[in-house]
Amino acid sequence: MRLWNRVQSWLRAIVGRSRIESEMDAELRFHINAFAEDLVRSGVPSEEARRRANMEFGGIERTKEECREARGVSFTETLLQDLRYGLRMLRKNPGFTLIAAFTLALGIGANTAMFSVINAVLLHPLPYPDSHQLVLTFLGDATGSSSRSSYGIVDYLATRENQKSFSHFAAIGLGQNSFTYIGAGEPQRVRGTPATGEFFAALGVQALLGSTFNPASEAPGQPREVVLSFRFWQSQFGADPFIIGRSMLLDGQPYSVVGVMPSDFHFGPRDNDEIWPLLQLGPSEVRPPYWIAPFGRLKAGVTRVQAEADLSRIAEHEQHLFPKSSYDRVSIVPMKAFLVGDSRIALFTLQGAVLLVLLIAIVNVANLQVARASTRERELAIRTALGAGRGRLIRQLLTESLVLAAIGGTAGFALAQLGVRAMLTLAPDALPRMSEVTVDSRTLLVSSIFSLLSGILFGLVPAFRGSGGGIGMGLKSTTGSGQPAARHRLLAILVVAEFSLAVILLTGAGLLARSFERLLSATPGFSPQHLITVQLALPDARYPQESQIADFYRQLLERLEALPGVQSAGISMSLPPNLLALQNPFRTPAEPIVPGKELHAAEEMTVSPGYFRTLGVPLIAGRFFVDADRARSDQILIINQTLARQYFPNQDPVGQRLQTGDADERSPWETIVGVVGDVKYQGLDAKPESTIYVPYFEKGWTSWSREMFLVLRSTSSEAALMPAVRETVWSMDKQLPIASVRTMDALLADSIAQPRFRTVLLGSFAALSLILAAAGIYGVISYSVVQRTSEFGIRIALGADLNDLLCLVLTRGAKLALLGVAIGAPAAFMLARFMSSLLFGIAPADPLTFVGVSGLLLLVALCACYIPARRASRVDPMVALHYE
Amino acid sequence: MAKQVDLLQGTLEMLILKAVSLGPLHGYGVLLRIQQISKDRLEILQGSLYPALYRLEHNGLLVSEWGESENKRKAKYYRLTTAGRRKLRTEAENWNRMADVIAGILQSKPEEV
Repeated sequence: MRLWNRVQSWLRAIVGRSRIESEMDAELRFHINAFAEDLVRSGVPSEEARRRANMEFGGIERTKEECREARGVSFTETLLQDLRYGLRMLRKNPGFTLIAAFTLALGIGANTAMFSVINAVLLHPLPYPDSHQLVLTFLGDATGSSSRSSYGIVDYLATRENQKSFSHFAAIGLGQNSFTYIGAGEPQRVRGTPATGEFFAALGVQALLGSTFNPASEAPGQPREVVLSFRFWQSQFGADPFIIGRSMLLDGQPYSVVGVMPSDFHFGPRDNDEIWPLLQLGPSEVRPPYWIAPFGRLKAGVTRVQAEADLSRIAEHEQHLFPKSSYDRVSIVPMKAFLVGDSRIALFTLQGAVLLVLLIAIVNVANLQVARASTRERELAIRTALGAGRGRLIRQLLTESLVLAAIGGTAGFALAQLGVRAMLTLAPDALPRMSEVTVDSRTLLVSSIFSLLSGILFGLVPAFRGSGGGIGMGLKSTTGSGQPAARHRLLAILVVAEFSLAVILLTGAGLLARSFERLLSATPGFSPQHLITVQLALPDARYPQESQIADFYRQLLERLEALPGVQSAGISMSLPPNLLALQNPFRTPAEPIVPGKELHAAEEMTVSPGYFRTLGVPLIAGRFFVDADRARSDQILIINQTLARQYFPNQDPVGQRLQTGDADERSPWETIVGVVGDVKYQGLDAKPESTIYVPYFEKGWTSWSREMFLVLRSTSSEAALMPAVRETVWSMDKQLPIASVRTMDALLADSIAQPRFRTVLLGSFAALSLILAAAGIYGVISYSVVQRTSEFGIRIALGADLNDLLCLVLTRGAKLALLGVAIGAPAAFMLARFMSSLLFGIAPADPLTFVGVSGLLLLVALCACYIPARRASRVDPMVALHYE
Repeated sequence: MAKQVDLLQGTLEMLILKAVSLGPLHGYGVLLRIQQISKDRLEILQGSLYPALYRLEHNGLLVSEWGESENKRKAKYYRLTTAGRRKLRTEAENWNRMADVIAGILQSKPEEV
């Protein structure tokens, strides 16, 4: 009850301040007036009565002040007063305010920007209703020895019929991600994901226009359906409202448009011109190939473990039906976890790094505050003398810090917006879900928390320091030499802290930079300069025969090689550095087929004879393919060095034979005619794998070679060559799209976008921390030199060697820096261990990095200390002695 | 006129509670009633009355509301709360006990010691 009264009167005091003030005024005036009237009634003249009433009442303002205090008005009062005072103090020291606010803005801005990324990539649910129920399913085996595999048709169909765990079960086809679309203009290649009938239903999304797929159309022979993205509908059909039911030609086949998705729907990057053709799957006689990625929406109450058991039962049954295959288990991965993948470690590392930057920034501002406190000591002492309590002073200093933090935070939030925009333009594909990154209310909240916390942190140190100490001490000392020893110790601790934080950051950045350098110098296995790559796709409808495909490519390559500026031309199913299309099992004659035992997998691809020469892949043994091989009836192969070394050690692989494809005794044996150097098809950071090359004109392989990469080695500039290449292609087939024209240099750069992104980010954070740490140590050493001016003066007067003085100051700086390095090193090593999966080609405890970082920090510390050290050695003894 | 006595530290609040316990009063009325009961023997600084009133209200011993004074002016009237009545009783008991003790001490004669 009493507590409630208190709260009420408090609330009234805060909320209705002006009403309370006027009431108090009225109440006191009533008293004086009533008193004066009583006096008049007793015969005192009215002038005199008024005067006496006022006098006997006493100081009305003092009474009011006491009343305010009595009812707890003082809180808001004081706060407002402190705010005003704080702002005035900050305005009076624009230099300090600017530097401190900017330092904070950098720290808070970097944190906010980084958090926006984490927020979008890791924290936000996928943009589908109840997206936590969405999971992907993979085939595997009981031993867990084989890696996760996609599904084949057999497994997909069986699961669709028999599963009990999902409310919806759908899949996308992995074999194709673009389609040739012939509309009004030139034929084009459009982004498209083949999807089964339940695709949209499983994601839980509705069409904006028309409808999504009719699941009954999933059976082959039913009319083909396609759903368009909003952007595609706008760009290709001018947002035609009558589009539903129209037919469009994709890869030469008519598809009927059944729906248009809302503009905010995306599966993959946002705002894409995209289509989703219906994937129709009929029964299959064989279990492989595995090119279907199924996913489903878990029924309410079904756990992942239950679903895994349910689906494994189906896989086991299929394994029974196809004993030569080797998948009898299913593993389930939440869709979000799968999409986000291993970016988690990189993101946590970066966020941790940027938090360290903020800490360093806070330490730096605290440093500034402590140094400034010396000049404010008298001010604080006077306030104490006038009756301000210790708590009162702390509150005032803290309010001041919070004002500063608020300024820094606001600027930081603005910086974060810029930073995020810069990240999105510079590295749009650096992370999965990158297109979803925005600065939203949650980011704003986190940014405010960062500001508040930093305000409290850097405010508390000087507040407790500043409010301590006796009154006399502060008032008497005019040169601020109050308690220099204690302050020096505090400043030194802050500097050591800064350096230990900087060590962690620099080590992380150093390791990433060294890995990235290794990555850049990793040999891709060919010479990437002056190469142009183009995607070609020959539609089934117009090239039904293998001979037609082979003839087309032969003629095209001949014509292209005849072009001026083209040195050589080739085609391949896969391209380095990371555009691998197919992996295939194989065995050597030495390995018998054992049921249930998986064969080794090799990267296998069809190529033209000129492919190796065009890319510059070296021949190690035997020969390349030649045009004369077209006439052969037997099958031939070229293998890479890794395969040769691993499976034909100490023998000549040329002339040896391999079986490729699924384990089958009756498969033909194929003869190795050559060995070439290793080429990386699965990323520059991947280990070299076994690779098998087949001529594209070989029987059975040609129909697999409809979608090929064309590679040209040019003698002139790539840009000048392209029109002629286009002309040549269209002179043979006007309806072929020329898609994704890229230089090999660009493909290489794309393939390392992620490591580049994190290296650049962590590098800039580390640079920031280095600058801040340098500024911190510079400030502290300068301050100590000023404090010891007279001492230096006396030493010089007594004939001290100037170089000795220089050394004295430098040594002090170096000691602080080294102490910081020593303290930070173990933490840096822990960080290195944490991020070891991001490293390539170097160990987490890379000695060069650790030594280099320590040396760099020491060097920076010495440079930062050199200016104040020189100042110390130049002290004029006379001036110095007068100084105190 | 009887001789005036300075108010003992801390007793003003008790006197206010007593004055208000006899019926709702505005601040000036509190002053008048204390002077009247004490037959003008207590010296009260008028200004000190109000911080005390505010403190009592803040602590929930008094409540106030605006009303009309005898001469038709708006005035703020204070009333005792239940907590205030309880407080007054214990304070008065304490005071009386203390006064007895002190008086006993002061009246003691040498032979009693």
